[in-house]
Amino acid sequence: MKWIPNDIEMYINAKEFVDTAVVALHPVSFGDEMKQSASMHDFITLLTNQLERQFTGRMVLFPAYSYLKKGRMDKPLEELLEWERSLKENEFKHIFYITSDSDWRMQESSLTGALLWMPLLPLESMDESQKVSLIGSQVKQLQNLFTQKWRENQ
Amino acid sequence: MSKHRVSRRQFLSYTLTGVGGFMAAGMLMPMVRFAVDPVLRAEESGSFTPTKQKVDELTSKPVRVDFTFKQKDAWYESEVTSTAWVYKDDNGKIMALSPVCKHLGCTVGWNTSKEHPNQFFCPCHYGRYEKDGTNIPGTPPLAPLDEYPYKEKGGYLYLGQAKPRKEA
Ligand code: FES
Repeated sequence: MKWIPNDIEMYINAKEFVDTAVVALHPVSFGDEMKQSASMHDFITLLTNQLERQFTGRMVLFPAYSYLKKGRMDKPLEELLEWERSLKENEFKHIFYITSDSDWRMQESSLTGALLWMPLLPLESMDESQKVSLIGSQVKQLQNLFTQKWRENQ
Repeated sequence: MSKHRVSRRQFLSYTLTGVGGFMAAGMLMPMVRFAVDPVLRAEESGSFTPTKQKVDELTSKPVRVDFTFKQKDAWYESEVTSTAWVYKDDNGKIMALSPVCKHLGCTVGWNTSKEHPNQFFCPCHYGRYEKDGTNIPGTPPLAPLDEYPYKEKGGYLYLGQAKPRKEA
């Protein structure tokens, strides 16, 4: 389910079936890294949208969490922990964060949700069909991870 | 007398809501036009989208066919990719089924559950369907998978808009 009124209404009526939250983490940088952070945004958005199509009925794709990239990660981490608390209070049993920002990997142990780090692929330099098959295979990998997690805690 | 008072109060409230109402009407009108525009209607129901699938390569094993078409909404035209599971049934008739689970809309796979081979399987709440799309009782979905109308043109498969199936 996407963050749109129709889907959220569906969620409210079918809560007992929806136990998974997905939050994309987007770094926002300036200067030399500005373009790279835009590419990450593009890539992760594509991935999470495709993922949502596969798993509409069991997950909510939340609005992405964007943060200013200024060296230290403590502030973004603190805020994300806040999100995590709310998600858990609202009965999302499985929480997944999806990002291309490798700095999160260091913070993984502080989070209860699963951190899925997807290294950025140079989509700009690919043609449409290459892009589609690449994204397709990445989404497949994510799907497997999700179904595995679901099975573990059945 | 009292009737008159009520209607005057109503009038006041009407004029007050009228300001907002007027703005809402301004926003709604174009949307309504979009919703009923006969040109858009015709396009929705009548058009078939070409796929890359050759009809004579279809077998009795369901294959995934992706196809892309343009969809208009109030703001922009976007490319939408849809998927169908396509195969030939025992009588050689083509079946094109929508992969959208009738429970809550996840994408079903063919033959993806080891315990239940040769069925469509939904990973979300383990809904299952027979090969012909019929939902299997005791699993969450309450209706069979939607079916795409199809056409053959120059050896290729064309698909229309998926429609709910009438019970056989
Ligand atoms: S969405 Fe397919 S079984 Fe629930």
